[in-house]
Amino acid sequence: MSQIRVIGGAAGCLALLSVVGACERQPRRLDSPPIRSSELLPGGRGSTSIRPTPNFTKPATDVPREALPDFYAGRALAKQPWVRAPATTTARDGLGPLYNARSCVTCHIKGGRGQVPQASGDPLVHGAMTLSVLSARLHVSEKSPAEMIPDPTYGFQLQTRSVALSHQFGVDRETPVLNASAKTPQQALPEKAPLPAEGALVVHYQRRPYRYPDGSELELREPRFEVKALGYGPMHTEVATSTREPPPMYGMGLMEGIAERDLDRHVDPEDRDGDGISGRRNRVRDRELGGTNPGRFGWKANQPSLKQQVAAALSGDLGIASAMFPEQPCTDRQPACLASPHGTDRSGYEIDANLLGLLVDFTRSLGVPKRRQASYPMVRQGRDAFYRARCQACHIPSYTTEKNEGTPHVSEQTIWPYTDLLLHDMGAVLADGRPEFDASGAEWRTPPLWGIGLSQAVNESSGFLHDGRARTVEEAIVWHGGEATQSRDAFAAMPADDRAALIAFVKSL
Amino acid sequence: MTIARPRRTTTRAATTQAAGIRAVMTPGATTRPKLPMTSLNTDSVSTVEALQTAIDDLVAAPSGDTLAAAREAWLVAREPYGQTEVYRFRASPIDDTNYDPSDGEDGPEGNINAWPLGEALIDYVVRGDDFGVDELDVSGQSVGLDDGSNIINSDLEIDVELLQNTATADDERDVIAGYHAIEFLLWGQDVNMNGSAGTPRDNTPGQRPFTDFVNGVGCTNGPNTADDATPCERRGEYLKVATEDLLTNLTTVRDAWAEGEPYRTAFTTVDTLEEAKDRLLEILTGMGTLSEGELAGERMQIALSANSQEDEHSCFSDNTHRDIFLNAEGVSNSYFGVYAGYDSDLDSTDDVSTRAVDGYGIDDYLEDIGQTSLATDVAAAFAATTADVTALDATVRGGTPIDVLITEPSGDAAEPMRDSIVSLNAQSALIARIATDLDIGDASDVVDPDASECDTTDPTTECGG
Repeated sequence: MSQIRVIGGAAGCLALLSVVGACERQPRRLDSPPIRSSELLPGGRGSTSIRPTPNFTKPATDVPREALPDFYAGRALAKQPWVRAPATTTARDGLGPLYNARSCVTCHIKGGRGQVPQASGDPLVHGAMTLSVLSARLHVSEKSPAEMIPDPTYGFQLQTRSVALSHQFGVDRETPVLNASAKTPQQALPEKAPLPAEGALVVHYQRRPYRYPDGSELELREPRFEVKALGYGPMHTEVATSTREPPPMYGMGLMEGIAERDLDRHVDPEDRDGDGISGRRNRVRDRELGGTNPGRFGWKANQPSLKQQVAAALSGDLGIASAMFPEQPCTDRQPACLASPHGTDRSGYEIDANLLGLLVDFTRSLGVPKRRQASYPMVRQGRDAFYRARCQACHIPSYTTEKNEGTPHVSEQTIWPYTDLLLHDMGAVLADGRPEFDASGAEWRTPPLWGIGLSQAVNESSGFLHDGRARTVEEAIVWHGGEATQSRDAFAAMPADDRAALIAFVKSL
Repeated sequence: MTIARPRRTTTRAATTQAAGIRAVMTPGATTRPKLPMTSLNTDSVSTVEALQTAIDDLVAAPSGDTLAAAREAWLVAREPYGQTEVYRFRASPIDDTNYDPSDGEDGPEGNINAWPLGEALIDYVVRGDDFGVDELDVSGQSVGLDDGSNIINSDLEIDVELLQNTATADDERDVIAGYHAIEFLLWGQDVNMNGSAGTPRDNTPGQRPFTDFVNGVGCTNGPNTADDATPCERRGEYLKVATEDLLTNLTTVRDAWAEGEPYRTAFTTVDTLEEAKDRLLEILTGMGTLSEGELAGERMQIALSANSQEDEHSCFSDNTHRDIFLNAEGVSNSYFGVYAGYDSDLDSTDDVSTRAVDGYGIDDYLEDIGQTSLATDVAAAFAATTADVTALDATVRGGTPIDVLITEPSGDAAEPMRDSIVSLNAQSALIARIATDLDIGDASDVVDPDASECDTTDPTTECGG
């Protein structure tokens, strides 16, 4: 522990009593700013309890009681399965015909992350591969962002499932069933109008040893995603792919409440302050307001609003069409998909504006868990180390959200998400090589850190970073490159107990 | 990584409190440990065994009578099961096989009661502008997706593996198993009396004819020939297999709650006050989650919000009023530590009480620790819920099923639905208050013992040195 100064503090002294065994004077560290009481409530006044078991689908505790029925109605839409059309449950049908998941929480398990394949050769069941054709990408201009061009056959996303019976029961002769626990019936089905899944994704891990300056070692794994059994022929020769894990859903309403000016404050595309860190806003197509707006959500800040994020996921992941994304997940090279029954209801879409609104409000109202273990000496030591390594340069700790009279639980809240929601070049090793609007193939949006320590208590097979490659917080830190190289190196150069403390701090957030 | 954690002390008062909480978990503990859940599971299994017999009879000799008997057996089987759902949402055996949700909730629930059903995957469904104007353009699109179209029409072998390969499969396929799959095969889609779409709703449930199960000549909704293995025969097979699978899953749940089984032992072994609080919080979480989130929200409010008539739990049989009533009864059971039995003749009175339980409930515990006014408030909230779900039940028994009541979500007819939602939510708030007042809920998060030095009401305060 370096640079400590001792000041008085009776309350803290008592709390430490049982740990250190004697009442010493409370140390005050100079490496980090004073601890604010609000740090214990990262999601503001409505921060949630983790008892009896951690779960990220709880409403913030300050959601008004009268809003809770709608919250739970929205949760039904996120949790209960969407079904193949036509069905008696007309409001809930229209899955696919090509899709990745039949509900939001299939992949965002309990509102958190998905399962990451554990070993080479395992299928990716909870992530998705996004696609776009690079050569056809329009030129970036001052006025408009680069347009995204889909693969002519597969669109913007590889849908690995189909509502066709042949896929549902694994009798596709082309598509292998990648569900190890499932029996594969071998009977043939009549194939009058085959509607195969678009393909299957299998991971291959390559070991990447990492050595700390002190000689201790860490084994990393780098994933490569193999597309198998393409259902509709080859992809475009210049297609770029990017495979992404489902990120957590909670806290998005609060991140939506951060003022534009508070995000713009940290923008530094030319690195004028010379700290080695740029920070850019993505500029993306806004389907609601029209034109171009700054991106805020998604791995590359590729969605401008929470509503568009939700509608895009419904469309791309579930195949549920809305006014914002009215198209079916079919291209004109997939006629059986286009001709399949859809769940279009009287709104003209598969989910109407009212239900989409419920789903968006549900997402907006998901609470962020309270801090754990904030007062433990090790966590406080880690807090110093976190600031000393300048992690906070991108993982901006705190904001106060804007006033929002209609939605008090996201209004004027002091929150601690630890993100700037900006794009940063994270280096060649993490690059996906797939630009998205103004984001380059090496840039990623800083993800929030709140609740990260609970990820594996909610779902033990979840991972970190865009493709889930990091099995632990430590691995995730070590993978940082590009603009984060200095911070990563500062972490790596720390004594082992400071590294462990920093990790404990991050996991306490 | 192990992080040193301040030690806790256990006082005599705490030990007494733990004993009280332990008593709540084992109603009837003074005689012999007996959980309402044990009785309920046993009754769930036995009523599905009776359903299995009725389905065997239907398949062996399809007729109006055998179909009616099978439908009645299904309705009776829902009576105990609906009361068991309060024991969910807390990593208990139906949701999780090892009492540890972090490694995935791998219990059989998804194959028991999952909903909405993937009915188009199972058997024929109405195509056309089905359900009035709710769904458009289906007839124009019906040419696609005919790779066998549905399970009944395919050559897939119908066996237990086929069903288990669905709700709980890694890639989350459509729901094709459980009570509601059986319901669909017994009733069919609830369109109209004449089986057509596009005309105004009536008060009848699904109208599947018994001839859908007639093997060979006379088979409806399939080739009317003397061939073997017609769709009609396959429907019978599907019914039998789905019932067998349901029985297996319910038996698994029942057995996991039996004395000496790991879950039962772990759940009822309480050595410290902290453990006691955790267990009581699990019980309250099941009660609160079912009342507010699952029942009032995800099963009732959504039906009003979606403005979609069949957005109801038992949409084929029009039995949703019982689902609501029985879930509410279950929450009440859990609070009072009782189980009165189930209704075997569908007149809304619990008449099979051979395994009834009347134990030490949370109400008794609140009285014993002097929380009399809280106990009074909670009892009043439960009474209000009971009155509202009873009124809803009576309205439906009067001839108007829930799908018709909710046709106008804000209209007069839907009032019993809305009232029930309000009272269930109020009840949930009281359940949360039990946790708060007993210092076992939110307020007592034990995760940060040092939090008291921080004044979290003022976010600008510095604290913690």
